[in-house]
Amino acid sequence: MNRAFSGSLKGQSMSHSEILRREKSGELYKEIVNLLPIYLTIQDRDLNIIFANQTFYDEFGPRLGKKCHFVYKGSLNKCRACPVQKTFSDKKVHLSEETIRTHGGKTAQMIVYSAPILDQAGNVVSVMEMATNITRVKVMQKELTELGQSIALMSHGVKNILEGLQGGSYVVDEGLHDGDLTLIQRGWGIVKNNITDISRIVQNILYSSKKRTILLERVAPGDIIKDSINLFRGKARSERIELSCEINPALPEVNMDPFAIRKMMNNLISNAIEACAKDKSKSSHRIVVRADDYNELQFKYEVEDNGIGMDERTRLQIFTEFFSTKGTEGTGLGLAVVDKIVKEHKGKIEVDSTPLIGTLFRILFLKM
Amino acid sequence: MEKLLKVVIIDDNKDYLFSMETFLSRNGFIVQTASNGKDGLDLIKKEHPDVILLDVMMESVLAGFEVCKAVRSDSHLEYIAIVGISGMGEELGLKYEQYRDDEYFTPDEFVEKPVDKQRLLSVIEKAIKKAKAKKKPPAWRFVETAP
Repeated sequence: MNRAFSGSLKGQSMSHSEILRREKSGELYKEIVNLLPIYLTIQDRDLNIIFANQTFYDEFGPRLGKKCHFVYKGSLNKCRACPVQKTFSDKKVHLSEETIRTHGGKTAQMIVYSAPILDQAGNVVSVMEMATNITRVKVMQKELTELGQSIALMSHGVKNILEGLQGGSYVVDEGLHDGDLTLIQRGWGIVKNNITDISRIVQNILYSSKKRTILLERVAPGDIIKDSINLFRGKARSERIELSCEINPALPEVNMDPFAIRKMMNNLISNAIEACAKDKSKSSHRIVVRADDYNELQFKYEVEDNGIGMDERTRLQIFTEFFSTKGTEGTGLGLAVVDKIVKEHKGKIEVDSTPLIGTLFRILFLKM
Repeated sequence: MEKLLKVVIIDDNKDYLFSMETFLSRNGFIVQTASNGKDGLDLIKKEHPDVILLDVMMESVLAGFEVCKAVRSDSHLEYIAIVGISGMGEELGLKYEQYRDDEYFTPDEFVEKPVDKQRLLSVIEKAIKKAKAKKKPPAWRFVETAP
């Protein structure tokens, strides 16, 4: 596909008269056919390849006389929607999409056209098949579809937050109307929870959508996560979850990006709250956030919950962007952002989880 | 004096339950809530409400679809009005449409989140009227909307 047209025509820059000469002699067409970045073959009624261009030879080697489906797919059976056979029967151009196996054993998506070659009496004597590799187009198509679905799911999450904001502000209004402070506080709590949720979603989208250089500062590992814990106290309380922290004050100062580490912690705590809220099997739930020594070289952050837990299959996918177990509630970005931040800090994540027992996220960073 | 209408709200979002409970109780309803399908169904069996507001897509022991099915297949409960509520909407290329086939989901009315509270009152009224007038409500199903 990289071959330049002029290069393959023996490296010459041809004059107009030379092109005309070659055209007359038929050489030009032969060279063009060989150069086409498609697999061009001519097949007989039994689907035997009786002619192929150079691009075909380069990929599959000398396979004249072999059946098309055998060469492209390694199959002894004809393709279900064989366009060549259709052209043999109705003399028209046909099209199909096929998956083939290239010489290197990789699969490729092809768009295949077939066109009739007629004799003087107008009968189809053979069929020309042109197969173009559209694998990259297909990959892009899949990515765009996934992106569209993810945006739709995200907008649904935002819609739920809007519902929460509207509901919370209605409760505040009613409290103000009645002069009922308890009602105002409850409504304001709902509004604040939803503001936290929308901020987290927007920050995760921003964090995952651009390359951000981490800004290292000398910080105490325990101190920088206190804000995250305080941020979620209200939400944990409203879900009746006990949120506690165990911070070793003797941890040495390290180089970290405090903004990124808080973001990481926010996502982990938020996930732990959701894991507890979803779990109906226990009467009480707790989340413990730790910052402590791990060994001489490393310290650890831990977020442990006794929520719904994960099975092995889920655990293997959680750091993938747009993977979410929360149905329409999640954006699938939270843990992907955690993974990104940990990698940016050259750290390591360990996940230990058991369905209906709970989950432990442990993040190890170097003391430096 | 007109009898107060009883409503059971089933939704797994506790904040939503609270704001909806506040709204409906201030609009003359006797409100009871449940945060999962199983508790909701128990409440329905105990209270025999006039109307059920049911979150369709909640992740719970008993999902909204199953609660609806359980109500419709219980001869003591089958004529209770049900309003299905969901945040699943046209941004996902989906919407609910009435469909005359009993195998599908059979609330009397359907609304999407975020719920317009004033509209909700008229939807509830409509659902109660329908449930009283009809023996079998038409089914609803998701249909794909045009892109």
